Amino acid sequence: MTNEPSTQSGQARLTLAAMIPASVFYAAFFAVPMVCLLVLSFWTTKSFVLIPGFSLANYVKVFTSPLYQALMLRTVGVALATTAIIVPTAFALAYCMRFVFERRGQLILQVVLLSLFSGYLVRIYAWRTILGKQGLLNSTLEWTGLINEPLEFLIYSNFAVVVTLSGLLLPLAVLPLYSAMLNVPRDHLEAARDLGAGRLHILRTVLVPMTLPGLRTAFAFSFLLAAGDFVTPSLVGGTQSMLIGNIVADQFRGIGSNWPLGAAMAFVVVAIMLAVYLSTTRLIRWVTRW
Amino acid sequence: MDDRLRAFLDAKLNMDVSRRRFIQGAAGLTSLSVLGLSAQARAADGKLGGELNFLGWDGEHGGNVAKSFLETNNIKMNVSFQSAADEALTRFNTGGRGAMDILTPNKDFQTAILKSGVELFQPLDLDRIPTASGLFPAFKDAPWLMKDGKTYGIPIIWGDEPCVYNPKKWDAMPAKYTDFADPKYKGELVLLDDPFGNIWLWAKTLDMPEPSRLTAEQLEQVLEAMLKVKPNVVTIGSSHGDMADVLVRGDASIGIGGWAYQVVIAKEKGVDLVVGSPSVDGTFFWSDAYAIAADAPNVDNAYAFIDFMTKPESNAALATELASGCTVEAAFDLMGADIRGMFPYDNVRAPGGGILGTQIVVPPQEPDGDVVGASSWVEAWQTFKAS
Repeated sequence: MTNEPSTQSGQARLTLAAMIPASVFYAAFFAVPMVCLLVLSFWTTKSFVLIPGFSLANYVKVFTSPLYQALMLRTVGVALATTAIIVPTAFALAYCMRFVFERRGQLILQVVLLSLFSGYLVRIYAWRTILGKQGLLNSTLEWTGLINEPLEFLIYSNFAVVVTLSGLLLPLAVLPLYSAMLNVPRDHLEAARDLGAGRLHILRTVLVPMTLPGLRTAFAFSFLLAAGDFVTPSLVGGTQSMLIGNIVADQFRGIGSNWPLGAAMAFVVVAIMLAVYLSTTRLIRWVTRW
Repeated sequence: MDDRLRAFLDAKLNMDVSRRRFIQGAAGLTSLSVLGLSAQARAADGKLGGELNFLGWDGEHGGNVAKSFLETNNIKMNVSFQSAADEALTRFNTGGRGAMDILTPNKDFQTAILKSGVELFQPLDLDRIPTASGLFPAFKDAPWLMKDGKTYGIPIIWGDEPCVYNPKKWDAMPAKYTDFADPKYKGELVLLDDPFGNIWLWAKTLDMPEPSRLTAEQLEQVLEAMLKVKPNVVTIGSSHGDMADVLVRGDASIGIGGWAYQVVIAKEKGVDLVVGSPSVDGTFFWSDAYAIAADAPNVDNAYAFIDFMTKPESNAALATELASGCTVEAAFDLMGADIRGMFPYDNVRAPGGGILGTQIVVPPQEPDGDVVGASSWVEAWQTFKAS
């Protein structure tokens, strides 16, 4: 009994010591660059020269420009639409892997993750091949006689961006959800059923609460990565699908670049996306507590 | 076309479009026509050797072309490639000063830097680059490389950005870029994601007196004209390679701001494309140059390198590697007909920079009186893309 406090404090010291490498890594490669970017967002630029100072002009521009406002809204919309496809699909897949095809769960997981072995750009170009005017989907539909002319909305549109992003990010959402699903004992579902709970009730009061950490991570992967992507909109988005990430990237390259403005945009985007993410996860938790 | 050259070009199609041209890495081509060339060079004081720091576009360091020169003179080249035109300036201002020797700015960036008065390049002593006397007339006194009577660069390659189109759909291009607003082009156009090139072209087609110096009102007019074309645009290619892919897949049939090499790669995929720009408006030209950074630590090596690379054999080999126009007159005859035929050399046989000298595509970096600066052009282009 008398040794317990000293043992606990020793363990605490050990835990702290174990955290030092990761903390130093994050401080050096995440916190410090973010602070630098934050400082930069208050600077200005003139004739290729960065001028240190404290100006809110960049933030004022971001919040008052109709162009940036429209792109922020479009970005949130595309990211939410993508997430709305990915998370339920990944959830259903993880459920099947855990409870329906339990023996083949690991195998299915490997198949799902297989797509990650190919390059990011390769996968985007593959979607272009599928969705293009003369692509796999249009050709098949024409061959079956369902359409006479190619469906033009399939490629170079917001639809194409959402579909492509969903395809790209789905494996990343399956991983945390399957991991969370493994922690749900089959007995709990059976007990709920025995007590007369319907499928939706079980989903809302058992499955979702018990997989909430996995859901949060899947949502974060889907929503935040979709909102920050600028390559996919460039390659399959056409002329109506530019997202805020494309504008931020433009500020950091070329003759007309404006790093401080780009930094301010990046922080505003991060703040908005975090707000949407936190609101949505709270909403999910609230729904499960009815 | 040589298989290795083709593989080379294919591998590098997806370059950053801010470069306004395609060049590719130098790995792979080792038997170009420079092997018999003397690699001896002498510094002003008779000594060469040590290090040479290169920061420029991928391939322009002449990894194969300059190999014998570097070995013979015991020069170790430290190579860094830039991904955007302004990267050299960023590095220069963030600790790179005094550690950079050779830079390869493009025409637009060098124009902007020299006009803005920002220090990055040092004036060249042309007596130390005797081979520069062999440049095409247009490049000998290129105005975009000169300031206050001093020369700040030696052109190494050049080219243009024509329209590339499918001849099965179109007999010819219209006379002017504004003609692309005709509904018959709906779903047929792909543009390059290049704010300056596109806005300049539309300013020219609208007969603006100085297409690179626009007032806010003129820029608005240009944007309006471009937006009339936008319903016909399928997508905006992130690179020339991406544009070529869109054309080859048949998702569009006309590429605006393209590259002659797109015709070659399309042919290999069984698709016929041809080059041809609007007869009245034409297109614009680009060029890259070797420059020496201010406070360069290895000036002797830098001068000797530029002098070597400006020899006809070196220039022909580099231009061939990079599928670009050569800048040295005697290099023209050393190049293959397929590469030579890609670019309109009549434009560089006239003195004073030729059409490259009169075409200043880049706007002023900062507003100049009523004339808006580069950031306004970028914002207008973003508005176009987002509308």
